[in-house]
Amino acid sequence: MSVSRDDFGIAFRSALLKRGGAQKFSVLSLIFLALLIFFLDVYGTKFTKPVRGLINDIVYRVTFLVSAPTRFVPEVSKDLSSFFNVREENKRLKIEIEKLKSLELNVEFLTDENKNLQKILETEYFNKNLSNIILAKVLVDKNSPFLKSIIINKGTSSGVLKGMPVTKNNYLVGRVVETNYLSSRVLLLNDLNSRIPVTLAQGAQAILSGSGLSNPVLEYLPEDYNLIEDVNVFASGKDGIFNSGTPIGITNENGGVDLFVDPNQLSFVTVNLNLTKKGDF
Amino acid sequence: MARGSIIKKFYNAGPLILLYYLCISEVDTNLEKIFEIFTLNFQIILIYFWVLKRPEILANGHIFIAGLVNDVVMGFPLGISSLSYLIIIFVGTYVRNKSVNTTIASDWFTFFMAMLFSNLLFFSLLNNFSDLSFSFSKIGYNMFFTFFMFPIFWLLFNLYQITFIGNRDA
Repeated sequence: MSVSRDDFGIAFRSALLKRGGAQKFSVLSLIFLALLIFFLDVYGTKFTKPVRGLINDIVYRVTFLVSAPTRFVPEVSKDLSSFFNVREENKRLKIEIEKLKSLELNVEFLTDENKNLQKILETEYFNKNLSNIILAKVLVDKNSPFLKSIIINKGTSSGVLKGMPVTKNNYLVGRVVETNYLSSRVLLLNDLNSRIPVTLAQGAQAILSGSGLSNPVLEYLPEDYNLIEDVNVFASGKDGIFNSGTPIGITNENGGVDLFVDPNQLSFVTVNLNLTKKGDF
Repeated sequence: MARGSIIKKFYNAGPLILLYYLCISEVDTNLEKIFEIFTLNFQIILIYFWVLKRPEILANGHIFIAGLVNDVVMGFPLGISSLSYLIIIFVGTYVRNKSVNTTIASDWFTFFMAMLFSNLLFFSLLNNFSDLSFSFSKIGYNMFFTFFMFPIFWLLFNLYQITFIGNRDA
């Protein structure tokens, strides 16, 4: 028995402390170092925050460069397929243009009406301050099973602050959750940690919660509210972060929300810099 | 002779290059777009296999740095992936010290223990020391598919080892 215990002890100690050959560091020393880095990062001090920001900026840039071949191959295949389909696409586009022409007048009328109604309601038109919107390129879009986020190439140097809303074609995509000097992390709407106050087209208020899957779900709907399909969902703006009326998605048959922007297909996004003061978030 | 040595060094560095590439690039083993519940922690399979078979190929320091890089890219607190990988190294080295000859079945079983300890530490630290919330069903699926896929990668890595590096097992 004692031999067996000795065996266990020797193997255990060896696994923790063994060095030599290719192993310059023992597992135990690296565990202590990892724990030190972890706690320094979690209970961030004045020193660790800028260091983390600097590391983030460097690693994100390297990730962008290293991932270039993986982005290049799908783009080439997409270009090739669109080249071969150009004739059919042309035909389809002509039909679409005819349709759009007929809709144009209608849209003009509705836009004017919408602006007038917004003036009456004294709400801000969400495109009012276009100068405060910056375009950002998506640097990294790593699909993690636990965190749905993207990295953009604009940071505090461009005025991006934590909490700012991020949109694409005026559709809400998410919000900034981490800022570095040259880059930021954007939490997408389908992430499990995302909660957004929304208004449904019929006027009901709810919270749009990320489910970790592709479609977020609506929570805290009014009692006895019957959720039906194809209802538009907008940001309510009650949190003071998102502009009221920013379109988000449309309800589906499963009680979830189909987002207007596919979170897996983002290359450029816009960050809304409209903040009254820095301490808002 | 020198050229052969360079090629051999390159083959030996293959697993390390793959580990760094998986940690730093956008390439992931998360195939949720194809099959919604399919997620896989490929890094821990890679580390466990090579620590068990040829520990000199993946140095502890490199695995530690790869873990830090992974944390930055994924947005986790720094050091958490390193800790998780170091647990894998620890279990792998312990199993290697205790066993004379291993089979795919014994490696599969011990991998389960390594993955369990590693994920237990990872998610308990994440749960207690960060604001991130995560779905336990996703963790379950991730662990299941990682465990389930281990023998397939074991065979592939073994083939790589025999073909390019040379088998050194007793």
